[in-house]
Amino acid sequence: MTVTREATMPVENTKPHNLPAMIVWPIIIVLTAAGVLGGFAGYNQAMVDDGGTPLPAWAGPLAALGFGAVALAVYARRYRSAWQSLPPRRRHYWLALGLCATIGGIVGGWLVADQPIDRGFAEMLASGTLSPGFAVGASLLWIGGLAVGMVLYHRAIDDHEERAWLWACVAGWYAFIFPAPAWWALHRAGMAPPVDAMLLFLLSLIANAIVWMWLKFR
Amino acid sequence: MNNKLKVLRAMRNWSQAELADRLDVSRQAVNAIETGKYDPSLPLAFKLARLFAMPIEEIFDDGYKGGDDAG
Repeated sequence: MTVTREATMPVENTKPHNLPAMIVWPIIIVLTAAGVLGGFAGYNQAMVDDGGTPLPAWAGPLAALGFGAVALAVYARRYRSAWQSLPPRRRHYWLALGLCATIGGIVGGWLVADQPIDRGFAEMLASGTLSPGFAVGASLLWIGGLAVGMVLYHRAIDDHEERAWLWACVAGWYAFIFPAPAWWALHRAGMAPPVDAMLLFLLSLIANAIVWMWLKFR
Repeated sequence: MNNKLKVLRAMRNWSQAELADRLDVSRQAVNAIETGKYDPSLPLAFKLARLFAMPIEEIFDDGYKGGDDAG
């Protein structure tokens, strides 16, 4: 038992936090910055197609970074005290989720930028060839980011969410161990295509997400 | 397990979010305890007992009516 009297003293000054706004604004800022970047890229592509002179290659990233920096500075000025007034556990919780979302955004944006222009969405996500640079970078980001993010997450969640997560992981594990050997055996008998690890991974992830959300939010 | 959390909270005019802040848990955790979908851990039960200045067994009722069930 690690609960101390200090840790369980009532909070006397509980202030309402506008948490949705605190979370949504950074997402809007990042997406808008990505839109600025895409707008410049599209403009340059159109100029090249029309035989015109495109803007310098650094103009788009500079505009996106400039917009992002200014907008995030305004955001920090507006919401810094609100974040500081949150209990440490909730701050760490949102930090962990924010880190995971940022890594996901970087990997996703990099994936899109790494693709040939004429490649379709399904091919980009599932079957298209990846460049070695992206493959190594995304793998490192996935493993490193997930490791750090999960440590932060497990240190920040409460008992209720921990229970939801543990059962969700059991469900995800069952979603893997039930079909995998059966699929493998059927394939060896020539009755099924080769086992697709990523399909099993996706199945496990979906089972995990459904059980987690059910136990957390029902 | 039944509990009086909703009543105790209402007596103090606290919202679920306010109680969650005082316990340093999520609002969903408070809601799950109140609706009997989740039994809190022992440390969280002690937190609740200290917050409401009541013994744990006055907040939670496991349905035990007496008798000797030891061993």
